[in-house]
Amino acid sequence: MIRRWFSIHRDLSVQLLALYLLLIVPFLISLLVFDNLLGQRIRADVRATDLALARAIAQETNLSISRSLLAVESMARYPGVIEADTGEMEALFSVILNTRADVNLVYRLDAAGIMVYHYPTGPGSTVGTDFSFREYYQRALEASGPLVSEGRISPTTNQPVATALMPLRSAEGTFIGLVATNIKLESLSDTLAQISAEHRPDENFEVVIVDSSAHIIAHPDPDFLLLEAGSLLPNVYQPALAGKVDSEILDSPASQERLYTYAPITSAGWGVVVSRPTSAAFATQITVHNITLIVVATFMGIGFFFWIALSRRIITPIEQLASASRAIGDQETIKAEDRERLNRLSQRPDQVGHLIRSILRMEKSIEARINEQAILLESSTTMVSSLDSQVVLNRILEQVQKLLGVEMCAIVALDEKGGVFRARASRGLSKRYAEQFAIQPSEPQSATMRAIHSREPIQISDTETDPTFTALRPRSRAEGYRSLLAVPLNTQHAPPSVLLVYRPDPHVFTGNETRQLVTFANHAAMAIENAALFSRSDMRLQEQTRRLEALVQSLVEGLILGNLNGRVVYANRRVIELASLPPEDLTATPVERVLNRIIAKSTDPEQARKQVDAALKSKGQTAEIPITFLGRAKYLRLQAFDVTDARGISIGQGIILYDITADRELDRMKSSLISTVSHELRTPLAAIKGYASTLLADDVEWDKDSEREFLTVISSEADRLSSLVNNLLDLSRIEAGSLQLSLIECPVREMVTQAAHNAPLSAGNKFRVELESGLPVLYADPPRLETVLRNLIQNAVKYAGTEADIQVNVSHKDGYFVFRVLDNGPGIPIEESSRVFDSFYRLDNGLRRITSGAGLGLAICQGLVRAHGGEIWIEPQEAGTCLAFSIPAKYGENEPDAEEAEA
Amino acid sequence: MNVPTVLVVDDERPLCEFVRRNLEVRGFHVLTASNGLEALAVFSSEKVDLVILDVMMPHLDGLETTRRIRQFSTVPIIILTALGEETDKVRAFDLGADDYLTKPFGIGELLGRVKAVLRRARWSESVTSDERIVRGGIVIDLSRHEVQVSGSPIELTPTEFNLLVYLCRHTGKVLPHRAVLQHVWGPEYGDEVEYLRVYIGRLRQKIEVDANNPRYLLTERGIGYRFSE
Repeated sequence: MIRRWFSIHRDLSVQLLALYLLLIVPFLISLLVFDNLLGQRIRADVRATDLALARAIAQETNLSISRSLLAVESMARYPGVIEADTGEMEALFSVILNTRADVNLVYRLDAAGIMVYHYPTGPGSTVGTDFSFREYYQRALEASGPLVSEGRISPTTNQPVATALMPLRSAEGTFIGLVATNIKLESLSDTLAQISAEHRPDENFEVVIVDSSAHIIAHPDPDFLLLEAGSLLPNVYQPALAGKVDSEILDSPASQERLYTYAPITSAGWGVVVSRPTSAAFATQITVHNITLIVVATFMGIGFFFWIALSRRIITPIEQLASASRAIGDQETIKAEDRERLNRLSQRPDQVGHLIRSILRMEKSIEARINEQAILLESSTTMVSSLDSQVVLNRILEQVQKLLGVEMCAIVALDEKGGVFRARASRGLSKRYAEQFAIQPSEPQSATMRAIHSREPIQISDTETDPTFTALRPRSRAEGYRSLLAVPLNTQHAPPSVLLVYRPDPHVFTGNETRQLVTFANHAAMAIENAALFSRSDMRLQEQTRRLEALVQSLVEGLILGNLNGRVVYANRRVIELASLPPEDLTATPVERVLNRIIAKSTDPEQARKQVDAALKSKGQTAEIPITFLGRAKYLRLQAFDVTDARGISIGQGIILYDITADRELDRMKSSLISTVSHELRTPLAAIKGYASTLLADDVEWDKDSEREFLTVISSEADRLSSLVNNLLDLSRIEAGSLQLSLIECPVREMVTQAAHNAPLSAGNKFRVELESGLPVLYADPPRLETVLRNLIQNAVKYAGTEADIQVNVSHKDGYFVFRVLDNGPGIPIEESSRVFDSFYRLDNGLRRITSGAGLGLAICQGLVRAHGGEIWIEPQEAGTCLAFSIPAKYGENEPDAEEAEA
Repeated sequence: MNVPTVLVVDDERPLCEFVRRNLEVRGFHVLTASNGLEALAVFSSEKVDLVILDVMMPHLDGLETTRRIRQFSTVPIIILTALGEETDKVRAFDLGADDYLTKPFGIGELLGRVKAVLRRARWSESVTSDERIVRGGIVIDLSRHEVQVSGSPIELTPTEFNLLVYLCRHTGKVLPHRAVLQHVWGPEYGDEVEYLRVYIGRLRQKIEVDANNPRYLLTERGIGYRFSE
């Protein structure tokens, strides 16, 4: 509080005070300085005046005494005087007495000091009186020149006098008496009185002459004559008698402060003391000083008063106002007493009153705004609390009713299907209104459309008089409204909408009402947008999720996503199949459990476990798990990967299970091819090498027949080798698509027989060929067709055995020759039938060891048949195998089209 | 010694004939079969001193045939195959084959192998001393051609037997691959380190308590093997 009081920056009254002092203090200081200087000057002047006066008096007195002295000196030279001739002295003395007003007695003393003569003689003559006791007589005995006596009462004239005398001496220098004149001290005093009178009598001006014995010998008041100087004066006469000139302020014996000025009267050894009361002497200065003090006091007084007034009238109200406005700003309640004070202040007619009135008004308006905002906020909160569009619309209308206190309101929006504005929601209006309300966007008169286009609120204050409303008047009459306000809802992501407010009476919507509704409409628009966007994004998200879900579910690969706790977050259908777990069991199951269930199906669970653990530990590594799944061998490759979020932080682990059975199968087929080709090529080579080395051996001599036999074998085995190489070449050509056929007319039966011969059939095989009657001419590439037939017959022998019945049927249907090679062997399992035509595929499961062949046979057959424009297939058979292929009756008539042929 | 009987099994007639003709002309008694089943039938009815088996045959292939023969006989078996890969050879040895020839081969090669295998077999049979070799828990009865490990008898093929005897006789010595091959298989051999690897492995399976941490048959990496008591 104290701090605040002294803080110049924070307190306006202190500031004002400081400012005032800043202005006034220099002025006052200069005033005081001026006063001081003036005082000094006046004092000096007064002293100088008094000094001059004292000097003047001293000089005047001096002059008077000097004249007396001159007179006595000159008288002393008169022989009459010297001789004490009374007659002569009378003449002389009378002249002197007559010319000198200040002299009242001239006389002659003899050497003994006895009065010889005096003039005027008058009554009471002292002639004959001895005056030798007089101090001046004593002094005259010694002196040779004129001198002045002390003041005394003359016995002759009975008046106070001082005597100027001249000792008389004989020619020999003997003292013979003296001549003297008595100077009337009163005459001196008269002069002084005159001088005193010249000064104002009220000044109590006093001039005193003191003789060398410190007696007052002149004073304007004759009563004081011959009194001791000390009775009237402080000790200022001694310095004067000592010949000094000065002035001093001293207290008189009557305890009055006076200015004493003194000067010596040199001729008589007296002193003049001029004095006056300081109050009189320095009256001017004191006046000036007093004026100064008054001025200072006045300024201080005015200042203080002004400050108090300022403080009370302005600053205190401002302070109160400040705390009140702070309270308003902080929305605190103003204390009752403060409020009362403010109310009192607000009645002042001046600016402060005005200011307080406007702040109170402001408070009210802020309160109103806050209220309004609170209502709006509440409305918004209510509106936004739902994301369902229809609910939002109904809540908007509910809030409009509350906010404006209206009964009827509606929201009209563009129906995007019909391109017409329709009521989306309404309150206090009939069902008919809600159902039938429809405005074409092109309708220019409609308040709704005008609001939409102008993006400004449009009002119709009276439907009965408004010219734009003529057409709709029946509706307003039916619904019972007389005025309406249409406020556009500025939506971007929802269809354009308008909020309509109806009143049953003619009503001009004020600026405030409109503004309030516009603000509300903005909030409402946001709520509508929110709901629209939400529904849109929700749909989109769902769709996207469904799509992703479908994608992930349809993956051939198994996918498991586990969280950091190692529990399944997601697993796709494949995983569910592989782990044979019900889908509902999968979520939140430990990933480990799922993997264990898969590993349990492995043919070597221990090894699989090790591999899986290694793969889970290091991300680059994969585990290959052979499993038996649904009775079939499968190979799974397991790979683990880190699942990270957008910031790269791990949020779990993903595991992919690839089905690499097909890859493995291909690998197996490829290695099988290599071994097969190797075997097939090495077998004839072995025979050739064997027989050749036999012929070359030195230790045995073969006979001619044997040699020939060996060479025959070498030759036929070389043929076999070359045919095998040709087959491989054919196949690679077929696979590269570069096989060239030369079609010529072929005898069917001969070709089949030749093929059977070359197969070759075993002796135990029963072989039959059946041709349909009326076959057309067959055009084909004979060696290729022969290869196809030979391979099929070979296969029949291979798989059905050397004792099997083998039959070849040839028929004709729909422009195709159809060849069928049948046997009564074990048949081909149905699940293998689609793959037997793949290159290097051979029937496995024990059969593999029975057959020797490159696994190329059927693939070559298929390639050659397709090259002819035909197709090859397996016909299901109750017992045995039936391989069939078709060849177009005339090549070129039927485009080689695999799909058609298959159909 | 009588004329040795050789059973030649191959589905490829020319090859079978080639072997038969050559062996017969050199004084062997030759029986032929065109697949494993036939071979087993012949083997059960005739006394055979040597079997020459093709691997890829219908009905019962050479490897399976070897396995079945080994269930009741220690007759020397030479495998003929077009598969030249080491894994195939190892597989053949694992199943009990004594030697291996990759097609195509010359008659000289074949005869060399036949003679060496027969010699090994004869040699192991011909050891008729009463000598008993005892090394730790292993007791080898040379006369009765029997081996006991920790008191229980085990079955060894002639080559395995010969290899074990050779190693035991040089207990503590490091025996280089070549030396072992030439002594056990014959002078024609020397580079067939994989034979050794397979046989040592099989011996370990039969005589060691833990084949992965052998006590007797120690590998001297890059040099050969050492028998430790």
